[in-house]
Amino acid sequence: MGSYIVKRLSLTVPLLFIISLLTFVLINLSPLDPAVVVLQAQEIPEITDELIAETRAELGMDKPFIIQYLNWALDCLRLDFGDSYVTGETVWSSIAPAFLNTLKLTFVSSVCIIVLSIALGVICALREGKIADRSIRGISFFLTAMPSYWLASIMIWYFSVKLDLLPTSGMDSYKSYILPVIVITVSYAGIYFRTVRSSMISNLNEDYVLYGRASGLSEKKITMHILRNSLQVAISIFCMAIPIILGSTVVIENVFAWPGLGRLSVKSILSRDFPIIQAYVLILAAAFVAFNTFSDIVNAAMNPKLRKDI
Amino acid sequence: MYKRNVFIYLCAVACFIVLLAGCSGENAGKTISADNEAESELIYASAKDINDMNPHFYAGSMPAQGMVYESLIENTKEGIKPLLAESWEVSNDGKTYTFHLRKDVKFHDGEPFNAEAVKQNFDAVQANKEKHSWIKLSTKITGTNVVDEYTFELVLSEAYYPTLVELSMTRPYVFLSPKDFIDGGTKDGVNGYHGTGPYVLTEHKTDEKATFEANETYWGGAPKINKITSKVLPAGETTFLALQKGEINFIFTDDRGTDSIDVEAMNQLVDSGDYQLVKSEAMNTKMIVANSSKSDNPVSETAVREAIWHAIDRETITRDIFNGTEEAADTLFSANVNYAAVELKKRDYDLEAAKDSLEQAGWKLAEGSVRTKDGNPLAIKLYYDSNSSSQKTQAEYIQSSLKEVGIQLDIAGEESTSIANRRSTGDYDLLFNQTWGLAYDPQSTISAFTSESAYLHTTSGIANADELYDKIDEVMVSTDEDTRKSLYADIMKIVHDEAVFIPISNGRVTVVAPKNVNGISFKQTQFELPFEQMSFK
Amino acid sequence: MRTLKNLSRDRLAIASLIVIAITIVAGVFAPLFAPHDPAEVNMKLRYASSSWEYALGNDHLGRCILSRIIYGIRPSVLWVLVALILSVFIGAVIGFISGYFRGKTDAFLMRICDIMLSFPGYVMTLAVVGILGAGLENILIAFVVMKWAWFARVIRTSVMQYAEMNYVKFAKASGIGHWRIMVKHIIPVTFADIAVISSGSICSMILQISGLSFLGLGIQAPNAEWGMMLNEAREVMFSRPELMLAPGLAIILIVSAFNFVSDALQVALDPKLTTSNASLQEEEGKQPVYEYIRS
Repeated sequence: MGSYIVKRLSLTVPLLFIISLLTFVLINLSPLDPAVVVLQAQEIPEITDELIAETRAELGMDKPFIIQYLNWALDCLRLDFGDSYVTGETVWSSIAPAFLNTLKLTFVSSVCIIVLSIALGVICALREGKIADRSIRGISFFLTAMPSYWLASIMIWYFSVKLDLLPTSGMDSYKSYILPVIVITVSYAGIYFRTVRSSMISNLNEDYVLYGRASGLSEKKITMHILRNSLQVAISIFCMAIPIILGSTVVIENVFAWPGLGRLSVKSILSRDFPIIQAYVLILAAAFVAFNTFSDIVNAAMNPKLRKDI
Repeated sequence: MYKRNVFIYLCAVACFIVLLAGCSGENAGKTISADNEAESELIYASAKDINDMNPHFYAGSMPAQGMVYESLIENTKEGIKPLLAESWEVSNDGKTYTFHLRKDVKFHDGEPFNAEAVKQNFDAVQANKEKHSWIKLSTKITGTNVVDEYTFELVLSEAYYPTLVELSMTRPYVFLSPKDFIDGGTKDGVNGYHGTGPYVLTEHKTDEKATFEANETYWGGAPKINKITSKVLPAGETTFLALQKGEINFIFTDDRGTDSIDVEAMNQLVDSGDYQLVKSEAMNTKMIVANSSKSDNPVSETAVREAIWHAIDRETITRDIFNGTEEAADTLFSANVNYAAVELKKRDYDLEAAKDSLEQAGWKLAEGSVRTKDGNPLAIKLYYDSNSSSQKTQAEYIQSSLKEVGIQLDIAGEESTSIANRRSTGDYDLLFNQTWGLAYDPQSTISAFTSESAYLHTTSGIANADELYDKIDEVMVSTDEDTRKSLYADIMKIVHDEAVFIPISNGRVTVVAPKNVNGISFKQTQFELPFEQMSFK
Repeated sequence: MRTLKNLSRDRLAIASLIVIAITIVAGVFAPLFAPHDPAEVNMKLRYASSSWEYALGNDHLGRCILSRIIYGIRPSVLWVLVALILSVFIGAVIGFISGYFRGKTDAFLMRICDIMLSFPGYVMTLAVVGILGAGLENILIAFVVMKWAWFARVIRTSVMQYAEMNYVKFAKASGIGHWRIMVKHIIPVTFADIAVISSGSICSMILQISGLSFLGLGIQAPNAEWGMMLNEAREVMFSRPELMLAPGLAIILIVSAFNFVSDALQVALDPKLTTSNASLQEEEGKQPVYEYIRS
């Protein structure tokens, strides 16, 4: 197992390298000259060509591309992502708290999704084809087809304004979590519960269940057995789900004015604040890789067969 | 096996429709009272964070800076009034200003406010001159002298008639405790935000909220409202909902001229009985600014700009988009602005005139709906503030009008900082903007014609730009009222004839506040509100 | 053929297919179906409620909502379909090559896929929009760039599975060319798999594109798009909630239709399901894990 972890972790290094390189290239595709932007940010009234050349040298932009990249990458490792074009403050100072807020929302939502989809998945699998199964599946189709911002707006109207139970937006207390978490859970649980359901069903039809039944094992023991097998599938899915939700809370954060990364990124896009966009892409891609690695390791720990597969 | 599924599915859809439809009927009457909020607290919504509160920079929110910092003098309806300076004298040659300061003023951190502090602040501003070039005063200051502890003297290179007006602005000539300076200045940032104003910044969570508490030792007496919070909320329905729920209880037109909710939503709040709506008199002119210096774009042609002017139906915009709360504007400055009672050719809403103007300029309609000249399409891009729903609606409306005369208008919404950035770099064809407002019009807006960070790109492409700039320089230093009048008339005529500032409506500052708040008034500027005069009943 | 037959027994799937077909036809021939010009502004009809002339009422500029919904099919559904077809095509080519030839080519191509898949889709879409600017084309480009790898992966697996079948082995042994084998024996059978994953992923793409337009990062005015219509409706959501209904339901309807078709296709493709209830739907399990990135 130890060697697997080492191998798996070593795989992430080239991946992170390529991700950072792509991010760097991507941002260099932007039509703006960073030197000019920096000068504008300093509100220098007359931007002369000399001044631009000087700034380019200051920023190390006259060096070969690969050196520029390395300098940038080293800075990023020290969490120095440069300064925001808009506020002039360091990118890290605005992105760090936002990242934390998004993580909080993601984790709470993920836990809810896990609980809900396992519960629904198991119910549906055990009642396969019966009314409960069919109605839950039907509703889930409906819910997954619903744009989340649409659902969010309705929820805000109903629970916050009409019933006055919950805050409409922001992140003031535990109450602020309830609506965004419900919306995210509803949007995703419908997808993941189907996964749990089908894995449960396939387990139910495995030979060992049939043999177990035939040889007189108690139903309780068999169910436990099935649950354990399904859990593995569930865990692997949820490890994958976390980074996906992390990256896709954008719309929800904007509807609920959640002070997280999603809102920050949209704001930065609308104000063309490239250093923040760049850091956002880099951090989320890195988080994505980290969670994927983690999920692979967890899976391998539960299922030794997977360990060879590298 | 799916039959039942279909049924259940349809039921679920039906339930939602009913739920949603139910919403429409009842909500008009029911608004959750704002009363449950702490009685002595105002929480206002703002689309943006208060940002860097350094008063010698331009990144911070102006209403917030207005609460914390004060200038020497104040610009009111009745003219310049004392504020931190009790009185002042101007030398006969108009070059030396002597200010006698109040003696009972302290900064929020307890530091005394005296001539030394004033000098340090002036020097800190002047040390970063390039940034302030849009204020012509910054280019005229040659000396800042401490005469005695409470007397300060400002020396200029030449007489400059708007000196007092520019000293009364929200920034940069306001005062920060010298203790907050870094390396004796403010251009590399500051350590704290201690001003002399009625409110003290006590808490700031970036992109969430900022809290201001009453300055108990304020020289003008502690303000009655103890606490003011600026909460960052997306404009539009989020803000509206928060108002309905009482999570916030105050909104006002922000420093970019943007209202966070639309007129109809405001009326709905007033109808609920919990809120009052207070409007200032017309303060400024909302307009579309054309980049005359962008020579590769049709917008650099006067005829095209005139056509755009003719193609905008101001009556409909003010009646239907602003619900009649604003008046249509036909000139850059409305006639009640100083020096602005000038005869200018009125350009009515007239699609035929717009088409004629384009035809004459060689923009022909061959095929399709977009005119071309030498193979280039008549395509122009307009930027609007993405936080302003009215700007977006206006942009869409103007887009459709321009289509009728054969102009393809692309529109793009961006954050206001990005738009300000485009304005100063000239990276735009058209953008929404507003004049500086009563206290500053016309002199500040006009001197901004020559400033890179403002309207230099707008004006520099016109035929007689040099003549325009000479006249502007001249008017600012002229001491004779009649000369000034005629110079201003010339300046306004030039920019009007060139149609670089396309007026739309006369904007106001609008406040939505809880019903039980008294003393809501306005300053002569759209950038600040006198919170210290408000109180709860 | 059996697939189609199975499918035709499922009435819900038929209904869904009809909905999809109508939507596509209405979108393609929008000028014929729309009663008005979707960009025709009439401020006198601002927020007018539904009438004989304007069945769904008028929006904030007095434009016909029904016409805008119909024209909105183009960016909301048709262009998404184009992007989908493009990325499926790229994915299929790469998937076929690596699944059929295996070996080093396969390893190399799959590494590239790994890298592409290690970028979170939504984030990259935002990044592309952030750098190239808001606009429908940029989102579609981002879709194609981000999604082909995922299709390549799935198609490869399915090709590998069929390439192992005896009849393919037999064909190989009897000296039939690679190209012929692919065209005659593999493409037809994998086609069904491709249909399943495409119908599944179009749902998430439709939702994503509407979400981005909702945030103001998608298509620009005056073009109609459902997400953007919802964004406009949101401004007045509490005085005129009915404006949220039409575009919202349009999205729900088309996405559910694709959802049901995808589900039905899976059932139809798996003969076991026609005889017993034992569902061994691996796709159902796998697909959402990677692909379902919601708006």
